[in-house]
Amino acid sequence: MCSKYNVGDMIIVITGATSGIGFAAAAQLANKGAFVIGVGRDKQRCAEALQKISGDTPGARIRYITADLSSLRQVRDLSASIKSVAAETGNEKIDVLINNAGTFSNWYVSTEEGFELQFAVNHLAPFLLTHELLPLLKNSEAGRIITVSSGSHYRTRIRWNDILMRKRYNCLLAYKQTKLANVLFTMELNRRLGPSSNVRAIAFDPGLVNTDIGLKGTAGIAKWIWQKRKNKGRSADIPASEIVWLIENVDARETNDVYWKGCKPKAPSPYSRREDAAARLWEISEKMCGVRWSAG
Amino acid sequence: MQSFVCITGATGGLGKAFAVECANRGWNLFITDISENALSRLADGLETAYGIKVLYYACDLTDADSRAWLIEEMSDRKICLDGLINVAGLDFEGNFFDRTKEQIRTLIRLNVEANLEITNELLKLRNRDKTFRIINVASLAAFYPMPVKAMYSASKRFLLNFSIALREELRPMNCTVTVLCPAGMPTNEKCIRSIDAQGFAGRITTKNVGYVAACTIDASLKGKAVCIPGLTNKIVRFAGSLVPSGLVSQLIGARWKEAHRKACQGNKPVLRTDN
Repeated sequence: MCSKYNVGDMIIVITGATSGIGFAAAAQLANKGAFVIGVGRDKQRCAEALQKISGDTPGARIRYITADLSSLRQVRDLSASIKSVAAETGNEKIDVLINNAGTFSNWYVSTEEGFELQFAVNHLAPFLLTHELLPLLKNSEAGRIITVSSGSHYRTRIRWNDILMRKRYNCLLAYKQTKLANVLFTMELNRRLGPSSNVRAIAFDPGLVNTDIGLKGTAGIAKWIWQKRKNKGRSADIPASEIVWLIENVDARETNDVYWKGCKPKAPSPYSRREDAAARLWEISEKMCGVRWSAG
Repeated sequence: MQSFVCITGATGGLGKAFAVECANRGWNLFITDISENALSRLADGLETAYGIKVLYYACDLTDADSRAWLIEEMSDRKICLDGLINVAGLDFEGNFFDRTKEQIRTLIRLNVEANLEITNELLKLRNRDKTFRIINVASLAAFYPMPVKAMYSASKRFLLNFSIALREELRPMNCTVTVLCPAGMPTNEKCIRSIDAQGFAGRITTKNVGYVAACTIDASLKGKAVCIPGLTNKIVRFAGSLVPSGLVSQLIGARWKEAHRKACQGNKPVLRTDN
């Protein structure tokens, strides 16, 4: 069966690309000939990931950029770096942005700009990065923004009174909130882009995956629970291949389905479909990131 | 006339939490800490997200000249203060006998000397039209002699006593003084490691910094003398007051020595933790 899109022509940006789903997706896409720009927080791990992928796929077109997504300042610098890497290829465009990087934190950790860590990495960073890279995404024939959400987004809400959960922080509720924010962001982004845009956003549900997200910077019960849970999870290669399938086969302009799991559309939570909630979160995010999305 | 709340140690875990809490309440800030870069980033983030004014000036509070320049900067700019939150403080955890002369001096200079001098000077910049509020960050350690943290807990007891006395002195000047006595807080990686090394006891006494900051500011607005966030900690404090201090010190010593051993697994004999 022929796929709709040829990945080999594409420039694809993936955050959180040094381990887990992001690394697996970077490897698979590089293997299919895409020009991949991977983002990771740690210079050493970026170098190792680059070496591994280049070793497995000789001639792979892949670059890694180091950026700590908990810092909005670094997200802005990252955007500038991505733009110059894309320009080097002769094509000032990005075909797919995969907002995959995500984190989990037992304790309330403040970023350098004063935001809560999970909220900053899992939601504000994709929000700002997408805003900064939108002009390049518009240069693509069919630009896609795939944000990795989670089944955790069901059965939760946004805590408007204390969105950073400063006063009553609960690590798991905070995580669920950020995954809900991913879906609300995707919905509102599509509304603001408008139905005739060549750029569309998709939210991706990877299911339960065996990665280290719950082991980095956690301890105690949360860490123990993740150690047990992750063994029942699928290998990261599987959701990575589902993302690749989405990129190759789903023309997001021709479908109203915004939330995908296992190569099939799925209904996201009723809360995530609320237009008022999505608009409100959008305004708050614009304020926090210091940006204003222009129409269209 | 624009007025500000001054926060020392503003870019550390607890300092940031206070900064965000104040910003959330719409208060302008004058923040200081040792790193200009960190101050600048925090100031940008807060101004953007909360629409307040944030001024900053980098200062090494352990250095008398640096403190003098900070005061001069604030006086020259005629900064008008509604409040002062003294967060800056540190500990060199480990046995006293292993401490160097330099570490001893640094701890006393930061935890005690800087606090006193800054408070004394910045009172002169207070806004006479409003109640001026001072918050001093001490610790639950202030209540007990603490082996492995002997200098630290003593310095915090100094602040506890001083703050309660100062509160009485400043009452006729329309000023309040509140001393915060939290348990360990997960402010940075080293502290988190230290808390995790204490096991269950560490986790039930630990409160997140956001909660601590909000709780403390509420207490300060009510003019309370002492703020101990968390019911467990209040109970621990009460229970500790019933037991002779020598015995308390022995019990605490046993817990901290074990925790310190676990936290320092590897090479370093000293664990520096900042507020």
